[in-house]
Amino acid sequence: MHIDRLERYWIIAVGVVLGAFGAAIVASVVVFGVRLPSPVGRIDPAKIKESEFATPGLTQDGDHTYTLRVVAKMWKFDVGSKEPQPTIKIPAGSRLKIIATSLDVTHGFYVEQHDVNVMLLPGQISQVEVTFNKPGVFHIICHEYCGPGHQAMVAAIEVNEGN
Amino acid sequence: MQHTKALTITPELTFPKVGFLTSEQWIVGSHVLTGLMALLIGIFLGPFQVFRRAPALKWAIPVFSYYYQALTVHGVMNALFFTTFFIVGFSYFTVMRSLKRNMWSTKLVWAAYVLMLVGLLLVVYALVTNQANVLYTFYPSLIAHPAFYLGLVLLVVGTWLVTANLFLTYMLWRKENPQEHLPLAVFATLTNFVLWCVASFGVAIEVLFMLLPLSLGLISHTDPQAGRALFWFFGHPLVYFWLLPAYTSWYAMLPKQANSRIFSDPLARVAFILLMIFSIPVGVHHMFTDPGVSAVMKGIQTVFTFVVAIPSLLTAFNVGAMLERAGRNRGAKGPFDWMWKQDWRNPVIAAQISAMILFITGGISGIMNASLTLNIALHNTSWIPAHFHQTLGGAVTLTFMGICYWLIPMIRGRGLYSANVALWQVHTWSIGMMIFGYTYGAAGLLGVPRRTDLGAAPYINELAVPYLNASVIGGVLLLISGILFFVNIFGTLFFSKAPLTEEAPIDTYVESKSPLWMEKWGLWLSIVAILCVIAWVPVFLEVFDFTNGFQTPGYNPNGGIYKP
Repeated sequence: MHIDRLERYWIIAVGVVLGAFGAAIVASVVVFGVRLPSPVGRIDPAKIKESEFATPGLTQDGDHTYTLRVVAKMWKFDVGSKEPQPTIKIPAGSRLKIIATSLDVTHGFYVEQHDVNVMLLPGQISQVEVTFNKPGVFHIICHEYCGPGHQAMVAAIEVNEGN
Repeated sequence: MQHTKALTITPELTFPKVGFLTSEQWIVGSHVLTGLMALLIGIFLGPFQVFRRAPALKWAIPVFSYYYQALTVHGVMNALFFTTFFIVGFSYFTVMRSLKRNMWSTKLVWAAYVLMLVGLLLVVYALVTNQANVLYTFYPSLIAHPAFYLGLVLLVVGTWLVTANLFLTYMLWRKENPQEHLPLAVFATLTNFVLWCVASFGVAIEVLFMLLPLSLGLISHTDPQAGRALFWFFGHPLVYFWLLPAYTSWYAMLPKQANSRIFSDPLARVAFILLMIFSIPVGVHHMFTDPGVSAVMKGIQTVFTFVVAIPSLLTAFNVGAMLERAGRNRGAKGPFDWMWKQDWRNPVIAAQISAMILFITGGISGIMNASLTLNIALHNTSWIPAHFHQTLGGAVTLTFMGICYWLIPMIRGRGLYSANVALWQVHTWSIGMMIFGYTYGAAGLLGVPRRTDLGAAPYINELAVPYLNASVIGGVLLLISGILFFVNIFGTLFFSKAPLTEEAPIDTYVESKSPLWMEKWGLWLSIVAILCVIAWVPVFLEVFDFTNGFQTPGYNPNGGIYKP
């Protein structure tokens, strides 16, 4: 099969560019430590009340390390806060481990300006870790359609200065 | 079913008229026009989503005032029904004209059409009665009215009959012409229906064994993670099912229209074979943020996704070289002036080249989406609709509109209503899509979610406000463009007085150096099967809970537990 000379160069260039993109992805994992959500376990949605998700909310594990347990349901994030816009407060520099699931339908869990982007599915436990360095209020947004109240499904993480 | 006897189609533009149901005009016309009716419902809801989401306007959507109903109608009509009907009609036309024979069975053509049409009507019923607000991805555990799923089943079964008919037509032709080269357009059409059939098994299993029984009340639980895996087994090849007919037009028809010739026929076929094979083991790149799929499988499917980018980049060169030749024929001398020395006054050409331009950003943003870790910044933000409105809304739809500008006149036996209106339509569409892509892409990077009724949201992302407001300009242009398109379609159907001038851009013979082994369909299917075992079997083993089965009850998309 005949391949034109210029086309051959093009194919090589395509290979090199895609190879470079691939190397960048490997570097993001190996050098910069970016992690994707991976299976950590299943949970029967009917038994959430008898599980580690019975009391959602923030627990402090150590100096600037916290665990946040979240139960998403139509149409709110239960983060253990009773405010109209559920909010958790942590100091800047905190490492937060988020463990979350959904009670009913597919929800999303996205934190503005941070690398937190994970699906919450009934039956599955999602887990991500993230560090909050910059003070400010960052919304937790449900980014998967979950019914008529979807757009109101929002919570917030308030990151405060100092300790 | 006996096959209808081969009908000689003269190279002139006359259509065979052997009873209207057997005529090419009716076969092609009914499919294409049904597709355009679906588009007519779906297309105009698009700009109003943008108006609704812009903080400066927050307008309610007319008629379908409920945002998520409008969004579901927009997605289902445009992406599932317009595309499928149009592609089937276009594929019949391509195959019958190129092979100079009728379809294997005209009865089967109409049987498939009726199934698909009933499917469309059932889905429309479920949508307009507000019982299927599940968006076009219909993820469980949201459960729609059974008519919605039944309609989808009929659509898919219809396309299986179409595939059988296309292959039987090809096999008859091959038996009579054992040594001849298959015209590229037919080769491409066959690869497209192979990938569609393989892909559709995922969604067929999801709908038949999970969603429809739950919707009917035969079972009581489902598994959202397993449903997503089955859906995306289908969902990514689906986008290639939309794209390949556009490629078919660029490779096999645009050379005739632009007075050029194809640069490399063998490499075009290689591209179609690669697309057919590697569009299957890549769907997990839609599930990078899913909790139930391991990072290893996500990595493996990223590699395959990069492989499936190769045939599109081959296409960029091959089609680019063909266009360079067209430009040189029109007097281009310098290294780059062939790009604008094209026949921009011809809406058929202008639409296709504009579609390619949109596909540059569409393709690049697609590679970004597929980049495993980078996807965390993009997934489910408004970046994603920005991306697929450059690909599906741009490259595919604008090419299909360009095809309509010669195909509808041919079906009607009249000239196009207005070439000027068509040109305005093409340019407003391109610029509108670019503005939509830029503003929604930027807003997505700032954290604006997709598929969300921002007009009713209690929070606001101040950084993204200027972009969301600017997207209104894109919406207005696209609204104008949509109106201009249908003015021309209805104008051509009912009011055009101009005589038909354009010829069908169809190759009936090929001077090709392509080896005949490229038609080893069994070999390609075996490779697809092996790749499925490598890329998908481990995923399905992960996502299905083999000890506990399904544990999540169905939910009504309007709230509460689903009751059949």
